[in-house]
Amino acid sequence: MLFGRKQKNPITIADKGVVEWKYATCGYCSTGCSIEVGLDEDGEAVASRGLADADVNRGKLCVKGIFEHELFRKTAGRGDKPLMRDSYKDEFKEVTWKEALDVTADKIKSIQAEHGRDSFAIISTGQIMTEEFYTLGKLARGVIGTNNYDGNTTLCMSSSVSGYKRSFGSDGPPGCYDDFDHTECLLAFGSNLPEQHPIIYWRLTEALEKRKFPVIVVDPRVTMFAQKADLHLPVAPGTDLVLLNALAHVILDEGLADDDYIHASTVGYDEFSALVKEYDPESASKICGIDADMIRKVARLYAKAGSAMTIWTMGINQSTHGSDGVCAINNLNLITGNIGKPGGSSLSITGQCNAMGTREWSSCSGLPGYRALENEKDRSEIAEFWGIDVDYFPEKRGMFMTDILPAIESGDIRGLWLIATNPMTSMANTDLMRKLLAKLDFMVVQDAYADVETNQYSHVFLPSAVWAEKEGCFTNTERRVNLIRNVVKPHGDSKTDLEIFNQMASRFERGAKMVFPENAEGVFDELKQLSKGRMLDYSGMTYDKIEESRGLQWPCNEDSAPEGSQRLYTDGVFQFPDGKAKLLALPFVDDNERPNKEYPFWLNSGRVVEHFHTRTRTGKVGNANKFSPTPFMEMNPQAAEKLGIEHGSYVKVSSIRGDATVMVQCTERIAPDAVFIPFHFHECVNRIALGLLDPHSRQPAYKQCAVKIEVIADQVAAAKENVEARAF
Amino acid sequence: MFKYLRPKEQSYAFLQDVDHPEKNRYGKAIETVSVDSELRGQSLNINGDNRVGENPNRYKQHGFYFTADNCISCHACESACSEKNDLEPHQAFRAVGYVEGGRYPEYTRLNISMACNHCDDPVCLKGCPTRAYTKYAEYGAVLQDPEICFGCGYCTWVCPYNAPQLDHSKGHVSKCNMCVDRLEIGLKPACVSACLAGALDFGIMETTPENRDGLDTSIPGFPSTDITHPNIRFQQKNKLPDEMSRTDSMPVKYKKNAKGKFEPHVAEKSVSGQSAEVEWNLNKLSTRENPLVIFTLISQAVVGAFILLFIGPMIGLETLTPVKNTIAWPMFLFGLIGIQTIALVLSTMHLGKPHRFYRAFNNLKYSPVSREVAGIAVFYNFIGAFTLLTGLPQLFFWLPESLLQLFVSITGWGAVVSGLAAIYFMHKIYRIPARPFWDHWQVFTSFYGNVLTLGPLLLVLVFAFIQVLNNESWMQVVPMIAVFVFVGLLMEGIGLYFHKNDLMKSGGEGAAAYFEQTTKFGRTYIARNLGLLSGLALAISMMVIDVDGIAAAVLWSGAAAIVLLTAITGRALFYALVMPTTMPGAFFWRNKKFQEHARETGLAEMPQVGVLPDLH
Repeated sequence: MLFGRKQKNPITIADKGVVEWKYATCGYCSTGCSIEVGLDEDGEAVASRGLADADVNRGKLCVKGIFEHELFRKTAGRGDKPLMRDSYKDEFKEVTWKEALDVTADKIKSIQAEHGRDSFAIISTGQIMTEEFYTLGKLARGVIGTNNYDGNTTLCMSSSVSGYKRSFGSDGPPGCYDDFDHTECLLAFGSNLPEQHPIIYWRLTEALEKRKFPVIVVDPRVTMFAQKADLHLPVAPGTDLVLLNALAHVILDEGLADDDYIHASTVGYDEFSALVKEYDPESASKICGIDADMIRKVARLYAKAGSAMTIWTMGINQSTHGSDGVCAINNLNLITGNIGKPGGSSLSITGQCNAMGTREWSSCSGLPGYRALENEKDRSEIAEFWGIDVDYFPEKRGMFMTDILPAIESGDIRGLWLIATNPMTSMANTDLMRKLLAKLDFMVVQDAYADVETNQYSHVFLPSAVWAEKEGCFTNTERRVNLIRNVVKPHGDSKTDLEIFNQMASRFERGAKMVFPENAEGVFDELKQLSKGRMLDYSGMTYDKIEESRGLQWPCNEDSAPEGSQRLYTDGVFQFPDGKAKLLALPFVDDNERPNKEYPFWLNSGRVVEHFHTRTRTGKVGNANKFSPTPFMEMNPQAAEKLGIEHGSYVKVSSIRGDATVMVQCTERIAPDAVFIPFHFHECVNRIALGLLDPHSRQPAYKQCAVKIEVIADQVAAAKENVEARAF
Repeated sequence: MFKYLRPKEQSYAFLQDVDHPEKNRYGKAIETVSVDSELRGQSLNINGDNRVGENPNRYKQHGFYFTADNCISCHACESACSEKNDLEPHQAFRAVGYVEGGRYPEYTRLNISMACNHCDDPVCLKGCPTRAYTKYAEYGAVLQDPEICFGCGYCTWVCPYNAPQLDHSKGHVSKCNMCVDRLEIGLKPACVSACLAGALDFGIMETTPENRDGLDTSIPGFPSTDITHPNIRFQQKNKLPDEMSRTDSMPVKYKKNAKGKFEPHVAEKSVSGQSAEVEWNLNKLSTRENPLVIFTLISQAVVGAFILLFIGPMIGLETLTPVKNTIAWPMFLFGLIGIQTIALVLSTMHLGKPHRFYRAFNNLKYSPVSREVAGIAVFYNFIGAFTLLTGLPQLFFWLPESLLQLFVSITGWGAVVSGLAAIYFMHKIYRIPARPFWDHWQVFTSFYGNVLTLGPLLLVLVFAFIQVLNNESWMQVVPMIAVFVFVGLLMEGIGLYFHKNDLMKSGGEGAAAYFEQTTKFGRTYIARNLGLLSGLALAISMMVIDVDGIAAAVLWSGAAAIVLLTAITGRALFYALVMPTTMPGAFFWRNKKFQEHARETGLAEMPQVGVLPDLH
């Protein structure tokens, strides 16, 4: 053909000149994709690609992973040198690492000496490597000795942890992605896989291409997942527990339960069945907004399926009864015998890349390897292993992150060490957060990014390495431990979190006496030793074997599971001393701030696919950020028309706590009495959110509160305000 | 080129060898060239690699297959494309937009991922004046070479799918290259391999991928396939609401017709239910195409002025002879050359790469841009020669008088013909099916109308003033010239009248542009129309009213100013209003209103916002 010219011209196509690919696991969400970073001749990270033979992602990556190598190149806002100042009102000065660490250690000691050991709190993250979590735990529990030590995972997965513990006797998601290939019915609660976990969604669509099975999505918003589902249940905000109890009601009432399983593997049936008896579909439908016939239909579909599974994310977790919601899902799967079998599972879809790692090894809520402070045997095992006095451990866990921060106000907390977390953007009620952080005697922020908003109130900033500037492991949603090889060296003068923790430990008398392995693999050996023979068994893993297998699912040991284990509780034996799971009676208590005359809209928040958490990373990667470079609020067009609000204009959203300026996107995907704002943006949704705490998990209910919407007459000023709130 | 094959590559990444019909639905053979064609067996020479790909289907037309039912707008295809092609955030060869409809909770959003459709009839290739485009025998890929492109952006006007991307920071166009480097080793394009929802596929045309149903050629928001015969097929089986709206700022919505197909309509109310206000928006009249406003108007004025000057004496306008105005006459000619030079410089500076201006003539065979530029160049040379021969005859004392007169005649008539031809091709530039607001004979009446209006006015302003200064009556020129002005304005007015009626009937982007003309630019539009009417009235007055001297000069200068202002406003509206038939955008990405907002507020100063702060 050669239409257009007589002679062929040579073709030029971008060539990034990759000469070497290095293995890593994606550092954004907890799907746990195996990813390779391509280095060019100069050792610059220039490309990313999925590993074709990795079971998790099978060569695929989402928008964030596709550009993950840019983290090493888009270094705007990265921390380069340690910074210090006397007051948060002063300018930072660059200091040496020695100075920064010496001052921090001295401050910790003096605060603890004056106000008690627990007056210095540590809040970590779900973002750093498992080896680093373990080391931080050793430092926090064994050296510094504060009981007010928690992770930001309290904001995302705490309810799942709590729910798993209450139902099964231990944390640990029992299922895996392979369950999609076996299940005959999938129920998704408050989970928008296509945006939050696109690779898991792809695994699901692949399974559906091979074999059709019903997909039921419960979500107040018509998410992309809701649209693609066979059944969408637009549940009233905050009433999922009512729906779950009603589903159980129908299953028990119609004799669809797996009585053998209930008998063999559970306790608590009597109280449970008495409670769900109260939740007949008719009564339930009036609260949860799903009509009685639909409740019956879903219950029958679920119970009659040969195997059925439930997945959930923040729609369940971030609620005033998140832990109960998780237990209710577990109830549903226990009464239908859907735990530990292919296609039958209660699978929480985790948020952060290593939220699982911190749950397993950081000692935040207890001691390493799913050990509890409340358990004497666990305390002495760890004390002996670390070579410390067992009395140094408290006998009960201290405060959760969401209790630590408010405790600043009362003076119970005087000093704070934040590691890779950004409460200024991620905690509800930004104004209160500012007030609290400003009140601290001393705050040290350890983060890869110096422009992380929380740094506005710090006294010391410790620049840390990001993702594959380090080496170590992440555990994903399906308990798969996967490896991150060191791809490039840490940016500027920043250090790995492991090195920072180790150097900090050496500045304490106790720490100097303990063993803190210098490199990640040395730490990993300790994990293997501490986990041998436990449910959370790492003993069959080595770095090379992990890389070779593209991740290994625990339990993994040389004797019975050298290639890891896909599922937990396959024998119907649970982690409670009696080996039985608990069916729990979960009465619904509605304590949400509900829309009222003055504040007539429900406020919901959540993720968008192109951003991760508080945008410190994705906000700088243009090819991701451009899809939502500024915050927006989904609002129903009919509601907007009534208030005279224009599509694309700025409005004022306010609650009794504060207000925010945000651009309106009118869409019928949201109910006329609700609005939705992504949580990623600073000075936006969390200026107004409430975040009541779940009594068990202390996780905030970000997704339910009451707001009002007002037109802004001066659009120019509103636009200016929005631009000023966007440093990135 | 073999680097794209990952170890243990998955089956989804490999092209499938499948049976296909001999011809596509438009009657074109799927086999791009005959079996014995000399074009076979040649290397594509990608990045200097002279190997020949071993893909068994190398000479078959390939294209994308999009399962609209499945797309989730996860951006993986767009990102994989941008990553592979190393694109800056403001650029993208593939984009996902959406239309939505229904009421909560029965709401449906239809996401559409679109790149280049490597059309059977690539209008980009035909339109490009530099011949930067080639349709290859290999895979039927339409590739564009940024190293040839001079950044005029004409391909971005003619493409109905917004496939070619003008990068204002680099000054050239680039576009989807079908990942021919991957195809050569049997791999599907990067976007397809990255798809996370089973939505995007690729293969030999008119074949349906496994597990898919249908070879549709339309989905809501996708322009008519008549324009280019695009090589893309769809599956869209899920039920859609009867009306789908766009989230971007283009006032277009899609309604199901009796046959169940979606057709574009004007969205008279915004998504949030507000009616558009009637406004001036004078600042928004200023666009990136400002140089073209000036270039087209000046060229039309110069052609008109020259023709009248040349033909005037033949029809009794003796004032317009060198004998009558020994100084003014040549000065006027030099003046015309001067302003035409300015216009040419402006139109050249409008290019992304002005130093490549000479490439404008590369595609005389197909491109109206090449033909227009050639026409203007020939005209420019003829009036140059004519001016020298007539304005400075002393230079040609050595020529016999008869020969001189012959040359004067040849160059004069040559300029008349080439000038008129240049305006014809200039008008052809805008007859673009992908830009319905332009694709109307009104462009013809407007451009030639301006030749008749502006040229003569230019003459009046110069020669009538000279006559006033010489204390002569100017009534001998003015009434005659007024006839031209009148006819020109009338042509323009009639064209506009039919333009309006035809647009309103057409629906779609043309009607939407007209809707914006009467709302966003409503007041400006009315002012322009009043200007036209006043111009007509003044032209009639010129023909009949007997005013002379200074008073007349002042009066008619005013009239000329009104006509000129009207012409400028009209032409600026012509560029500001045009709406392409491109795919729907998203709320931020490819939403013109957000892009303008980002530029106005300074958000665009952050490169990661993906909007270039400056388009000029």
